[in-house]
Amino acid sequence: MGKENSRRSFLKTGLASTGLALLASSKANAFSLKNPGRDARDARYIGQKGKHFVMVLDLRKCIGCQACTSVCKVENQVPSGQYRTFVTETEVGVFPQVRKAFLPQLCNHCENPACVPVCPTGATFKREDGIVVVDNTVCWGCGYCISACPYDKRYFNKKTKTADKCNFCAQRVDKGLMPACVETCIGGARVFGDINDKHSEVARLLANFPTTVLKKAQGTRPQVFYINLDNRVTELFDTTQDLDDMVKAEQGFEREWMKVREEAINNG
Amino acid sequence: MDSMQTLISSITIAKPWGIDIPNYFWFTGSSAAAFIISSFAHVFGWKKYKPIAGISLLMAFVLLVAAPLNLIDDLRQPGRILNFFLYGWENFPTSPMKWGVLLLLAYPILIFFEAQALYRPYFVRKAKKSGFLGKIFYTVMTFGRTDLSPEALARDHRLGFVLGAIGIPLALAVHGYTGYILGAVHANVMWHTPLMPIIFLASAMVSGTGLLILLIPFFQRFLSDRHKVDTDMVATLATLLAWFIVADLVMRFLWLTFSLTFADGEKYALYSYFRLHFMDTLLIDYLLCLFIPLIIGFTRLKHIPVVVYFGGLVTAVGVWIFRWNTVIGGQTIPRTTPGFLRYLPPVTGQDSIVSMLANWGVLIALICLVLLIFPWDEEMIDCYKGAEHGQQ
Repeated sequence: MGKENSRRSFLKTGLASTGLALLASSKANAFSLKNPGRDARDARYIGQKGKHFVMVLDLRKCIGCQACTSVCKVENQVPSGQYRTFVTETEVGVFPQVRKAFLPQLCNHCENPACVPVCPTGATFKREDGIVVVDNTVCWGCGYCISACPYDKRYFNKKTKTADKCNFCAQRVDKGLMPACVETCIGGARVFGDINDKHSEVARLLANFPTTVLKKAQGTRPQVFYINLDNRVTELFDTTQDLDDMVKAEQGFEREWMKVREEAINNG
Repeated sequence: MDSMQTLISSITIAKPWGIDIPNYFWFTGSSAAAFIISSFAHVFGWKKYKPIAGISLLMAFVLLVAAPLNLIDDLRQPGRILNFFLYGWENFPTSPMKWGVLLLLAYPILIFFEAQALYRPYFVRKAKKSGFLGKIFYTVMTFGRTDLSPEALARDHRLGFVLGAIGIPLALAVHGYTGYILGAVHANVMWHTPLMPIIFLASAMVSGTGLLILLIPFFQRFLSDRHKVDTDMVATLATLLAWFIVADLVMRFLWLTFSLTFADGEKYALYSYFRLHFMDTLLIDYLLCLFIPLIIGFTRLKHIPVVVYFGGLVTAVGVWIFRWNTVIGGQTIPRTTPGFLRYLPPVTGQDSIVSMLANWGVLIALICLVLLIFPWDEEMIDCYKGAEHGQQ
């Protein structure tokens, strides 16, 4: 009996100490409903309480210069060939009644985002000020949020190997600055601000102009609003001409050029 | 003509899921099917399926052990796998991926214990006959229960029944959730249907039966002491396959008729997709890989084993193509840029053709390992002798 008891007590002590050691070692990686940054109430994760940031894109003023596209890449160190925002350039109408139409696109920071609830690691979430962010120290790169976004505004960042997207330049906004794209927009087409502040520019624009959002039927309630969005431009999204043909045409064109150049060189 | 619009320039993103994902879906689906077929004997007591129940269970096990490797390879940060278990539990109700990983952990453990209960008497006998190392190994595999009395065997039988009964919903869930993952994505017109989990289950039963039609005769002919293919069993599986194809076709009919005809505006994208892929979908996916095996299973052709093997092969391949067309095809449909996207898997590296082939290599290695460890052969021969489970 004594022997059994000592074995039992040995097991008990062993189990208890192992349990304690495990608990102590896992303190840094504690089990969480959310993620460590949110649990620690880190300001970068919580955002600015009481505010609700939105963007209004006044398409009457967009000239398709892509300044926003390039400054975003610089500010957020977006790898080459990848974009958090860009401006789609289209042409509508038939000559001579023809004009260019531009559509700046970015994460819509939806009120009811499709990407956040499917995230299995809690790496992506909505801050209290409405900005949807990705914690690239937690994301394990499964791509579910990228599949879930109806706007194709998430991608795998080649450098961090995690999901990435526009964060309204939260790093700037938290310091009282404007997002880089807003700051650099030469036409003043991009307007950013707190919709809860009734004197803000965004509140004024939303109150005075009819606005629309992309893919309303998705039920995500986007927080990026467009003024003067031409229906014909969004119709383009549903057209499904085979991109292959376009690529082939382009490649064929390049090959032609190479041939002409070679011939020119050969002929001196 | 005044509404003509032309795209001059735009950018769209690369889609996240590559060749690993259809392969993973195929593996879990085939595993679920193999498990259900083994349960025909273990749970429902259908004697006809008894000889192949053991080997089907083992195939369900290896397929499910190999399957999650696809997912790990697909992760861009596989080193952060622990984050899945530590964080983000508030998303549990809304992230099918969260459910899936738990199912993926529970299901193979359950199959292993069921297989252990099934083969325990054989392990006991093997332990008695084997040398020193073999004795240790097989004793461990008995989990210390070396009793061969009728009561102990009845207990094994009961345990097998209980685990099999729990396993059926688990097997359906472990594959059904993959359909759920896709069905939950409302941004994707091809995936977003509540039928998706059922479509996936139906096609899984097809691919799993197709795979067993290929593997079981191979094992019986070349790896078993029987050295003879059970042609009646092959015919039975061919008919079973045909019935699963009927279920699969019904599901796909419901899916396509609703999403192409009665869906909202986004049906045009789907319509455009299927118009582009009409001939290859119709000829390969439906005619070759479903209708021909269907005819084989319901006619006298099922008594010609070679024809049935062909049917098994084309269904297994056909369902793989269906998985590919659903996962990859669904992602090629554009969302904010006109035109279909294009995906060609890379040959080497992560999420590539080589990584998929490596996964198949792992599967084959696991099959060999399991066939070596588990006395499937003796059990199968015993079943053919008409003896009761575990008795000689």
